[in-house]
Amino acid sequence: MGSEIIVVIVVATALIFDFTNGFHDTANVVATSISTRAMPPRIAVGYAAVLNFVGAFISLAVAATVAQDVVEIEPNSIGLLAVFAGLVGAIAWNLITWYFGLPSSSSHALIGGMVGAVFVAEGADAIFFEEGILGKVMIPALVAPLLAFLVGGLAILFLYRIVGRLRPGPVTSGFRFGQVISGGLLALAHGTNDAQKTMGVITLALVANGTIATDDFHVPDWVVVSSGAAIALGTYVGGWRIIKTMGSRIHKMDSAQGFAAQGAGATVILAASHVGFPLSTTHTITGAVIGSGAAKRLSAVRWGVAGNIVVAWILTLPMAALFGALTYLVTRLFGTGAVGPIVVSTACLVAAVMLYTRRSQQAGVPPGVPPAVDRA
Amino acid sequence: MIASIVDTDALLQVIWVSLIAGVGVPACYALAILGANRALEFGRNGRSVEAVAFGVVGVLGLAVVVASIVFGIVTLVDD
Repeated sequence: MGSEIIVVIVVATALIFDFTNGFHDTANVVATSISTRAMPPRIAVGYAAVLNFVGAFISLAVAATVAQDVVEIEPNSIGLLAVFAGLVGAIAWNLITWYFGLPSSSSHALIGGMVGAVFVAEGADAIFFEEGILGKVMIPALVAPLLAFLVGGLAILFLYRIVGRLRPGPVTSGFRFGQVISGGLLALAHGTNDAQKTMGVITLALVANGTIATDDFHVPDWVVVSSGAAIALGTYVGGWRIIKTMGSRIHKMDSAQGFAAQGAGATVILAASHVGFPLSTTHTITGAVIGSGAAKRLSAVRWGVAGNIVVAWILTLPMAALFGALTYLVTRLFGTGAVGPIVVSTACLVAAVMLYTRRSQQAGVPPGVPPAVDRA
Repeated sequence: MIASIVDTDALLQVIWVSLIAGVGVPACYALAILGANRALEFGRNGRSVEAVAFGVVGVLGLAVVVASIVFGIVTLVDD
């Protein structure tokens, strides 16, 4: 009975993580559409939420990677507690970076949290460091933003070359319409890659609980539906504060740049999802945004802001791992039963509500209401 | 050492697919915009041959964009 309660808490925590992932990352998906005025903020966010949900049903390759290739979980209560602690570590880091308005990586936070918790719980042998973390997470995560930078840069050069002599008005209208498509594809790609990470973690918990046999890996349908719904809901509720950072503080972009950046981000993420790489969608989209700006004019990019984002990226993996490890140690103070997860998740929920309320009060708007960019 | 750790085939697939689709599809969309704009301009000036030619460029560009998106999603779903 105790392990069943822990599974329920882990699933609920995973879905909350998925929600915070959507909440945190929605800015990456919709910022370019909003900053170029291709779509009003509320419509952009609703549209992204729907396509996030649809994207969750497209592929399961990333879920398989997260569940099988990063860490090895023993089918016992220790393994379950490690999954729980990893999730809480990732959520804590996501909330902190959201609170301070720093774009981060939910994916790195999740991987970092899991690695930290499993390392403390099961030891170094339970971490697939080389082929898993390095080969399927870190190297693709390094390649993806650089690739998106290159693709976004090349794309905008081609676009300017092709339409450069046309009157600006119709061209802007054309690319704004194009952004409805490219923004939709980006939301679809985000849902595909990010929702699958949660599916992978829930499946990992089900394996740890013995619900799914280790030699019969599959992602149950209810896991796919609930993960898609959670990330879509998180996207809808939105991370309005981060929209400002991603949309205009990196560089002011025109509709062609927005179109190129979204197209580059979407293609890199979808291609990676196809082969099962759990990318950081934040890193990838930011790479594409900077690439489309740098190709036009290097001075157009606010490199200081881009530098701050890089610092946040570097911090994410070790800090989430630290949070995951600490959460595991605190949870184990209450034994291996359900008491630890109940106490820790309740404390985290209270802390999250306090942070959200405080942030909303500082911004001067009630929770869920878009900031001035919506009313401009 | 790196090559033995990373699934090189998968990584190369991501790179070439991203380059072709991420640059090619937006370029085709830009051709669609170019074709539509030029077709309208030439049509207004009574130059119907040029208008039709650019109209064809526009339609083809848009067709490639739609076909590429459908192909990409079908490939992902069929996996």
